[in-house]
Amino acid sequence: MRATTKLRALLGTGQTLFVPGCYNALSAKILEAVGFPAVYMTGYGTSLSLLGLPDAGLATMTEMHLNARYIANAISLPVIADADNGYGNAIGVIRTVKEYIQTGVAGIHLEDQAIPKRCGHVAGRMVIPIEEAVGKYRAADKVRRDLDPDFVLIARTDARGAHGGSLDEAIRRAHAYLEAGADLAFVEGPTSVDEVRRICKEVPGRIFYNQTGISPRFTLEEMNDLGIAVTILPGATFRATIQAVYDFASDLKQRGPEAEADFNERFKGHPLGNVHRFAGFDQIREWEEEYLPAAEMEKYTDSVGHQPTKS
Amino acid sequence: MRPTTRLRQMLEAPGIVVAPGAYDGFSARLIEAAGFRCVYMTGAGTAASHLGQPDLGLATLTEMATHAGHLASCVSLPVIADADTGYGNVLNVVRTVREYERAGVAGLHIEDQVAPKKCGHIAGKQIIPVQEFCDKIRAASEYRTDRDFVIIARTDARAVTSLDDAIERGNRAAEAGADVIFVEAPQSEDEIHRVAREVKAPLLANMVPGGKTPAVKIPELERLGFKIVIFPAVCMGAAVPAMERALASLKETGTDWHDGPVLSPMDIFRRVGFDWWHAIEERFAPRS
Repeated sequence: MRATTKLRALLGTGQTLFVPGCYNALSAKILEAVGFPAVYMTGYGTSLSLLGLPDAGLATMTEMHLNARYIANAISLPVIADADNGYGNAIGVIRTVKEYIQTGVAGIHLEDQAIPKRCGHVAGRMVIPIEEAVGKYRAADKVRRDLDPDFVLIARTDARGAHGGSLDEAIRRAHAYLEAGADLAFVEGPTSVDEVRRICKEVPGRIFYNQTGISPRFTLEEMNDLGIAVTILPGATFRATIQAVYDFASDLKQRGPEAEADFNERFKGHPLGNVHRFAGFDQIREWEEEYLPAAEMEKYTDSVGHQPTKS
Repeated sequence: MRPTTRLRQMLEAPGIVVAPGAYDGFSARLIEAAGFRCVYMTGAGTAASHLGQPDLGLATLTEMATHAGHLASCVSLPVIADADTGYGNVLNVVRTVREYERAGVAGLHIEDQVAPKKCGHIAGKQIIPVQEFCDKIRAASEYRTDRDFVIIARTDARAVTSLDDAIERGNRAAEAGADVIFVEAPQSEDEIHRVAREVKAPLLANMVPGGKTPAVKIPELERLGFKIVIFPAVCMGAAVPAMERALASLKETGTDWHDGPVLSPMDIFRRVGFDWWHAIEERFAPRS
């Protein structure tokens, strides 16, 4: 089944779909191993992990959609990807939606920020006029209907926190973007529980909620009650990675190579402690047994190192 | 010698630098083989050949810089590359300069169009305020890592406001640190003369058949004081009708064998460096 159709099915359960963020193929594989049904590709984390740069509109469409492609190829779960402002006007959006559909992700969110965009929880954002934004969503909707009608289109508005913006304006825009063809409305950056309640009550459509930064936190049960269709935690894995890598690196710096030996000792009992297996070497061996000349499998005898398990 | 230093030296020496436009590695090779001293990477040609799309700001920085890198590595001439608007604001400009530097090109041009840009010779262009343009040029000039990297400021103001404004923007951009000024699409010989007289900086001329600027030959541009002339469309303009003729002939005759000179596979390989690679193979490859 196509990833887009899978995501549609997950959206049809009537329960809040809880989607943690990944920032590369490895973190996506970890989320899959833990058992989540879908993953979200964060633009913030992509910019930071791929380029070492802040989420300030510096990552190009090419870089973003390639990261999305690597993630979609690494796992068998549907991926929802950040597509920023579509990297241009409505004409640019046409190309962006095509490129993202071809990566194999199941859906994207597109926002109404001016170029270059920035993180939705950092001040200094600006939005484009609503008429222009509606044209972009109409263009995006047309492309996905032509190429894959199941591809999920999420319209994000930054009008709540943008320069000169308000919650009323954001709700008005969310409404207009849904009418333009978006499947879900994503009002970025509500600052209180009351604001989230108003969004859920007043936006006539399915709600995509970004539980991060300046926005309030809810339990899954609370989100179900509010009627939120999808919630993402974009920073969850890259923040955990930053802390884990920093702490480990500090330990290495202080104690030298022994710190790694100690770590490896602890890691042995971890569910992903067999890294070669997690990386997929068993699968490679299976494929080799099936498709390579039998004589070639002799390379495993008398060869030193991790022995992938035979199936 | 670094290509940036080579281009600098050409700009300091007397005479005009002629840079025909390459739209892919093959055309860059042919420009070098024809004996020119500099290659220009056309953005319109990159979008058309790489993406099969018009020059409407669809090509990303990544695609443009990657393409520029391919051209720079297949020829030994300095490459001047189109960098459109710098793909965003001042921050994007700084990233663009650094990406292009690492791609190995000798210089780039950045223009004052609103992003997403349009080809300089079609209608509907918009430009950013002159101060914002100058900030972009200043940032580009200050944040290059190689002092010899050539920053060319292009203004599209002629088609949007006036020639006077374009000349003013050219002079302001030169003060902001541009090495060369590119006033896009003057519309008559008089306008070309005015640009040459009134912009107080080294100048680039852009010759595009069928565009808004009348044709002026290289010696005349040199006499007027232009320092660089680019011919972005020369290769693509020749290739497209030739391909169209060949495809029509294939359809009509059922074969692409025809009378007249034929380009064998080896004729093609030779034009893209076969002999150079073969010599290495001869020296180092194990013989069976």
